[in-house]
Amino acid sequence: MSKVIVVDDEPFILMMIEDKLKTAKIDVVTVRESRHALERIRNERPDLIILDWMMPGLSGIDLCRRIKADPDLRDIPIFMLTAKGQDTDEEQGLQCGVSRYITKPFSPKSLLEMVQETVGNEQL
Amino acid sequence: MNNYKDDLTATVQELSHAYEELSLLYRVAGMFASLSIDDICSRMVDEAIDTLGVKTAAVLFLDDKTGVLYSKISRGSWDNTRTFSRDAEVIWKTIQTRKPSAFCRIAETPYRDYIPGVRSLMVCPIQGKVKTIGAIVVADKEGDQEFFSSDTKLLMAISSQAGLSVENAMLHAELEGLLLGAIRSLVKALEATSHWTAGHTERVTEYALAIGRLLNLQGDLLEKLKISSLLHDIGKIATPREILNKNCALSESELIEIKKHPGVGAEILGEMVQFNEVILCIKYHHEHWDGKNSLFGLKYEEIPLLARILSVADTFDALTSDRPYRPRREREEAIQEIKRCSGSQFDPAVVDAFLAWVNSTTLQYQAPLP
Repeated sequence: MSKVIVVDDEPFILMMIEDKLKTAKIDVVTVRESRHALERIRNERPDLIILDWMMPGLSGIDLCRRIKADPDLRDIPIFMLTAKGQDTDEEQGLQCGVSRYITKPFSPKSLLEMVQETVGNEQL
Repeated sequence: MNNYKDDLTATVQELSHAYEELSLLYRVAGMFASLSIDDICSRMVDEAIDTLGVKTAAVLFLDDKTGVLYSKISRGSWDNTRTFSRDAEVIWKTIQTRKPSAFCRIAETPYRDYIPGVRSLMVCPIQGKVKTIGAIVVADKEGDQEFFSSDTKLLMAISSQAGLSVENAMLHAELEGLLLGAIRSLVKALEATSHWTAGHTERVTEYALAIGRLLNLQGDLLEKLKISSLLHDIGKIATPREILNKNCALSESELIEIKKHPGVGAEILGEMVQFNEVILCIKYHHEHWDGKNSLFGLKYEEIPLLARILSVADTFDALTSDRPYRPRREREEAIQEIKRCSGSQFDPAVVDAFLAWVNSTTLQYQAPLP
């Protein structure tokens, strides 16, 4: 079973992603407070990390930099969720090693497809 | 406790559908901003298939004259020759009520005969601001699932966005048709004054466009060249008929009269402010490249490119057509004459394009008999 960690300060987004990914039998760990995220990632060792860009305290991009700086974690693919219109962020994000950049509001259906592309589709 | 959990799950799922719809609205806003009706329709069916996960999607257009819906474009297993008259309630109900309708098991409804080979079906009207464009039909969800109300909302989001764009595109095409129609009417009015000029306009237009294409003119500019060519002699409406139809050489004063037509043409069209480039092209289509003998004293690049092109096209047709006061020249002779005047009367770059075109085509126009 693939495992995905989702870090977002909006509870609804977390619930929605969890609900959608679980339909495809993907294990989901949700984290609301980004400052706890690094520790959870170290403990859970997910196959994919989904980060929100705008979070109080530690932003998604800062978190991303820390993950990429950790030799044990740097190979885990990262999806970044951001608000519409942050065009210049995309370049920055990709430079930080983000593998996909997903604009909010995103389609839950296509998010699931992207996740499956990355972690493999276990239903098949 | 369990009840709360169920409620929460249901709420999350509902929110998830709403989020899906919201993301679609963001995505399609502007997606249909095109002036090509085919383009918009093909994006519509692609988007419907993608978003709703259906196997088949079709856009139906309402033919205003016959009142019949016909298939404009489709993907999946849809027979494009299918039409729906008013008794095909399954589709028409949607058009009349302007509301979507869905059938999860169409075989169990009285409508099964209208759309054979389809299990489930959903129809949404495509509505512009003022008119009903038609309907979008989707059929057979992947995995044989039912259509939910969230699907209806998604399809409505697509069709309402696209409806406005289709209507815009239709109005645009209508206006363009109206404009060209008005222009052709003007040309007819002109050609009625002198049978010698009949066909001249159409030929000059064809030559000018051929030269323009070789000079890499595109889109809007080519369209302006076309309109300029069609209207280039419109000023001759004000030239006395006796002069236009005179069958011997023109006197000095008659020549002066004839030479007024570019200026008069520009004046006639002066009211059409959107036509500025067209007006300038018409005004200056008898200017000479080197400025000698220019009616308005322009030379070289001061003369608009469209006018320089029109000048060569116009002269070539004049040389190869009979005139009341002289017979037409042979094609080869006319080509030599254009070449001879390259750099003096004509822009050498335009003459080069003209030669490239004329040498690659065998087209030989016969002047119409009087």
